[in-house]
Amino acid sequence: MRSTIISSVAALALTATGALADGKITVITSFPDSMTGPIEAAFEAAHPDYDLEILNKKTSAGVKYIQEIAGDNTADIFWASAPDAFEVLKTNDLLASVEVASDGIPDKIGAYPLNDPAGYYYGFAGAGYGIMWNERYLKANELVPAKEWSDLAKAEYHGHVGMSAPSRSGTTHLTVETLLQGDGWNAGWAKWKRIAGNFSTVTERSFGVPDGVNTGNFGLGIVIDFFGFSSKASGFPVDFAYPTVTALVPANVAVVKNAPNEKGAITFIEYLLTPEGQAVLLDPAIMRLPINPKTYATAPEGFPNPFEDETIGATVEFDVEKSGARYNVVNSMFDVMITYRLDDLRAAVGAIQKAEAAVAESGNAEAQKLIDEAWALIDANPIDEARSLDPDFAAIFTKKRKKADDEVGQRQAEVEQEWDAFVVENYRKARELADKAASL
Amino acid sequence: MERAGIKIEDVHLSFGETKVLKGVNLEIKPGEFFAFLGPSGSGKSTLLRAIAGFGPTPQGSIRIGGRDVVKLSPWTRNVGMVFQSYALWPHMSVRENVGFGLKERKMPARQIRPKVDAALELVGLQRLAERMPNQLSGGQQQRIALARTIVVEPEVLLLDEPLSNLDASLRVQMRRELLRLQRQLGLTTIFVTHDQEEANTTSDRMAVLDGGVIQQIGTPQELYDQPANLFVARFLGTANILKGRVESYGDQARFVTATGDSLSLSGSTPSEGGNIVLRPQNIQISREAGRNALPGKVLHKEFLGSQIRYLVEAGGTEIVVDQSHSSGVDWYEVGADVHLLANTDNAVVL
Amino acid sequence: MSYSSPPPAKRQAGLADRLPGWLVPHLSGLHIAALLIALLLVGLLLVPVAQVMIVAFQDPATGAATLQNFVDFFRTSLFRESFWNSFYVSAMSVVVATAIALPLAYITTRFTFSGSILIQSLGFIPLIMPPFVGAVAMQLIFGRNGTVNLLLRDWFGIGIPFMEGLNGVILVQSIHYFPFILINLSASLRNIDRSMEEAAQNLGSHGIRLFRRVVFPLAMPGYIAGAALVFIKVFDDLGTPLLLNVNNMLAPQAFLRISSIGISDPMGYVISVILVVFSILSLWTSFLFMRGKEYATVQKGGGGMARRELKPIEKAMAYGVVVLILLLVLSPHIGLLLLSFGTIWSYAPLPDGYTLANYVTMWENSKTYILNTVLYAGVAATLDVIIGTAIAYIVIRTRIFGRQGLDYLATAALAVPGVVLGIGYLRTFHSIDVPLVDKPLASWWVIIALALMVRRLPYALRACTAALQQVSLALEEAAESLGATKRRTIQKIVVPLMTGGILAGFVTSFATAAVELSATIMLVSSNNDAPLSYGIYLFMQTPSGRGAGAALGIVAVVVVAIGTIASQIIIERDKKLRASGEQR
Repeated sequence: MRSTIISSVAALALTATGALADGKITVITSFPDSMTGPIEAAFEAAHPDYDLEILNKKTSAGVKYIQEIAGDNTADIFWASAPDAFEVLKTNDLLASVEVASDGIPDKIGAYPLNDPAGYYYGFAGAGYGIMWNERYLKANELVPAKEWSDLAKAEYHGHVGMSAPSRSGTTHLTVETLLQGDGWNAGWAKWKRIAGNFSTVTERSFGVPDGVNTGNFGLGIVIDFFGFSSKASGFPVDFAYPTVTALVPANVAVVKNAPNEKGAITFIEYLLTPEGQAVLLDPAIMRLPINPKTYATAPEGFPNPFEDETIGATVEFDVEKSGARYNVVNSMFDVMITYRLDDLRAAVGAIQKAEAAVAESGNAEAQKLIDEAWALIDANPIDEARSLDPDFAAIFTKKRKKADDEVGQRQAEVEQEWDAFVVENYRKARELADKAASL
Repeated sequence: MERAGIKIEDVHLSFGETKVLKGVNLEIKPGEFFAFLGPSGSGKSTLLRAIAGFGPTPQGSIRIGGRDVVKLSPWTRNVGMVFQSYALWPHMSVRENVGFGLKERKMPARQIRPKVDAALELVGLQRLAERMPNQLSGGQQQRIALARTIVVEPEVLLLDEPLSNLDASLRVQMRRELLRLQRQLGLTTIFVTHDQEEANTTSDRMAVLDGGVIQQIGTPQELYDQPANLFVARFLGTANILKGRVESYGDQARFVTATGDSLSLSGSTPSEGGNIVLRPQNIQISREAGRNALPGKVLHKEFLGSQIRYLVEAGGTEIVVDQSHSSGVDWYEVGADVHLLANTDNAVVL
Repeated sequence: MSYSSPPPAKRQAGLADRLPGWLVPHLSGLHIAALLIALLLVGLLLVPVAQVMIVAFQDPATGAATLQNFVDFFRTSLFRESFWNSFYVSAMSVVVATAIALPLAYITTRFTFSGSILIQSLGFIPLIMPPFVGAVAMQLIFGRNGTVNLLLRDWFGIGIPFMEGLNGVILVQSIHYFPFILINLSASLRNIDRSMEEAAQNLGSHGIRLFRRVVFPLAMPGYIAGAALVFIKVFDDLGTPLLLNVNNMLAPQAFLRISSIGISDPMGYVISVILVVFSILSLWTSFLFMRGKEYATVQKGGGGMARRELKPIEKAMAYGVVVLILLLVLSPHIGLLLLSFGTIWSYAPLPDGYTLANYVTMWENSKTYILNTVLYAGVAATLDVIIGTAIAYIVIRTRIFGRQGLDYLATAALAVPGVVLGIGYLRTFHSIDVPLVDKPLASWWVIIALALMVRRLPYALRACTAALQQVSLALEEAAESLGATKRRTIQKIVVPLMTGGILAGFVTSFATAAVELSATIMLVSSNNDAPLSYGIYLFMQTPSGRGAGAALGIVAVVVVAIGTIASQIIIERDKKLRASGEQR
């Protein structure tokens, strides 16, 4: 007790001079100010001898940053949503394995294990992907909200949907991977490409999606739940719903290897898991799902409770290892097939949708055959699942020289050029077939 | 080439609140070489620019060959102007500069070329056709500017201080060339200058301007010999002006100075006014008194080679006297008491 | 930076042995200054950029030197397309920026037009808004469901795709960067002697033809200088395409590849090299084009600058054009203002309601950002004008060996994209610890100021060079003949006479540094060290923070705008003083 008083006095004195060297915890996070702010305030109130230094970076940039500074690490905590990002850091041996006291926290949220079995990172909140929409936009365009992922592929939503790229947003990657695991590799990609055919845009940041829906730039967005909840809480005319196939995944926190203040880092993580720490998650600007079931007692009316409502996020058993093994392959495929060729894809899918509408009236069987062929071209994948999981193939996308004589067969640029040629040609042909079908 | 006269009637012009031209009336005959002479700020350039159509629109009328141009835009007037700075466009070659006006008149390229060559030949610079302006000397630039203007065959040629950027010897040569060209083409030409020598040597007639008003119009000799007012007298050459009054006795008249000395006037001299104008060369300096003599004292003397110029205090003012110099001639020291003998035959009373 | 640095002096002596003898005895204070500046530029520009560029020439698998990556670049159709898109967007931005800048420059310089100074100052303002903030505001106004399109659809049932794909990038970039053309073109137009135009009118030319054949060619050097800057800036710019979600351009491709998880693919670095090389090439081409075309057209005996009177109808039309253009170029600011005072703005021509709450939130949370910005931009701009003045003096007034190299090196910073510099700094300075602070240099706040300094040095250098060129050498010689040393002469004569230009350089550097994001986003190591633009960026990452971010943006614009207009007035006054001094 006495030591606490002394240190808090010391902390006070040091705060005045602006140093506070011992109690400083440097946090690299992808979470926005509106989320870190309240948590920081609550934590510093509970532990006045510590001072959180928040450094906001996008998940991917944060990972890159930790990799860059690894030689002389200055960061204590990495704090972000996407479990895969933690997997990447863990694989790169950039995280510390630590023991953390966590009373009353279950092992799983939905079907997803909360913590890394080896203690490299810990879940502190839950989040699931879903569909967010702008009420005014839908009303003006005479649309109804999409309930399921597959609804987004319907012709009526053409040009009205927005999403972020998995290579840019860790949580988006999870959504993409969830669907690939839920529907299977080929069917999953086919569904993504058909949905992407309705995209208005692929945003560069994950926040670009809720932002686009909030402003009404596009009508529906594929977003993580808290963006939907907090946008609604901020007063925007938007709403959010979980589709049946979604993964509830934990948002995580980890101690960076060789952290200058490892003790402080552990204290912070432990605080996040206490009932007080969990309660902060229900702040209107944050709106993340607490992982302590008791905290839901104080949640606002209508706030989903995954520990009671079994329909949320239970369908897919998420395989973290599988996801980690092909992390970069999936990102690269999404970019090559969708992000960079969105115009071609959108035009092709639009043409097919038009042809389908024409066939629905005429019932022309020949046209229907052409349409089926066109869809097959859109759906076609440049590589199969086995190849995506082949470690040698994945290495092309992760090559980080470990030894000078490490040889990699192909270069990423080469592979991507092959895929690009493949999809561009397929989209072009599909569009031709669809145009032909429409003219029959 | 068509010769046009210019008739300027009651032209007023102001820059904002400042009146620059105050009722100018002037007629220039076709083919005449006419000079506007005046100190800076007299309005001579403004008047020239008004004829060309630059600057604020004046009140009154300016007729060129019978056509009132006051309301016309500069590009429709067909007057050629050579600018003081030459205004050769640095991004065009000599040929392009000279051919510019013809191209503006939509003349086909194959007709432009011989015309440009002819104009360049006229100014003697055909060999420089492909040069850029910054590769030319001042005199060459001047001639190109002239060629550029005359090639479009304007009704009137306006020259704004065309010689002021040249050095002294080139200036004399260029003004002769200008005169030759003007005579050859027979163009009605107005030449603006503040240098009376330039105006005297080139122009058929000239107008002296001051304060936005024409002071006098006439041939150079008329203006020198018969200045209409003190300004003209002072502005052209050196003038000694003595204050006093004219006293008449029948057909005899004499001018009594402020100091009470009297000078008899010849019959032909106008005898109204309180000033008498004596040119330095019409005064003799002597140790003895005589007819029409003014007593005075030498204040200063300058040896000018062919002449000696004395400054003598006499008749209530300081008088400049020029004595031609030849070896052995008497010298008058500073401080010497002398008499000035005035030849009043050429004097003017104003 | 101390003057007692023997190693460079020694190295100079070693170098001097191989140089002509005249150099050695002249090792004056100016030489030492030149050497220090050269070392600074090498350390803060060349080395970091080389650190990034070298990766492009390494085999990713073995680390051996190779050109294979470049072969891959040109074999990949996506990259070829990105290259072409970048080129197309840059060229079109120059065209659109010209369409915006030309009427403003012509009307304000060649006619008596009240409010010319105001228009010129307002024309500068787009430059001082972070382009990504402009993009947000432009989306709200010109976006697919922005104010203009919602109204158009309501009234006429049509929509105009201002912001779709590359169009959006072109529009935002043109509006952001046209001031470069405006400033340079205006200066050139002001220098055209009245008689140049009058001579053409006298020979029958007028209107558009007169402008096309005489006025514009004469203003060409200024125009090219501005257009080249716009071209390079757009070619390198990252923030705007990223914010508009346009990926098929070079800079975003480089960024996406360098900053994505795990992708250590060399392509990002290859693109960086291509960006740098292409920018330097464009700069060089523009220099070549301008060589020998610096017409000093204000001539002896010329009429000076002519401002023509406009007829009432012409005046009305001119005001119409100016107001329209100003509305367009200030639309990001108008959008931002509405956003900052708005409550919720969603799928509607205007916000639902108005409030001051955003400013309250902003004020509570962003004092640090504002202070940091003033500190960083202040340090950067101060160093910029000091170094800029020194380089200008060394280049123009001395014959020090390699002085042109100094000029080129400082100017080359223009061609280095902010991201490349940022990554280079991280790589170069991370392993250097700052004594006393006990931090790597890369995460010390000073490095942000230094990065800003290097990025903005070319602007300050141009301004200082122009100012020095107007100081007659005779004034210096007069001081020296009266016994003043070189140092005293520079202090007492040269610098005071350059004040106007130095101030202009300071303001340009300060204003643009204050809104810089691309290099700082890589270098900010803690939110407490973040400058304003980064603060806006953070605010804008949350649904509830958009209004507050906009409010912070407005504060930035207002602060910098006041500074700009004030300095503009000081410069005008200085010019008048100088002009009246010359007449006597």
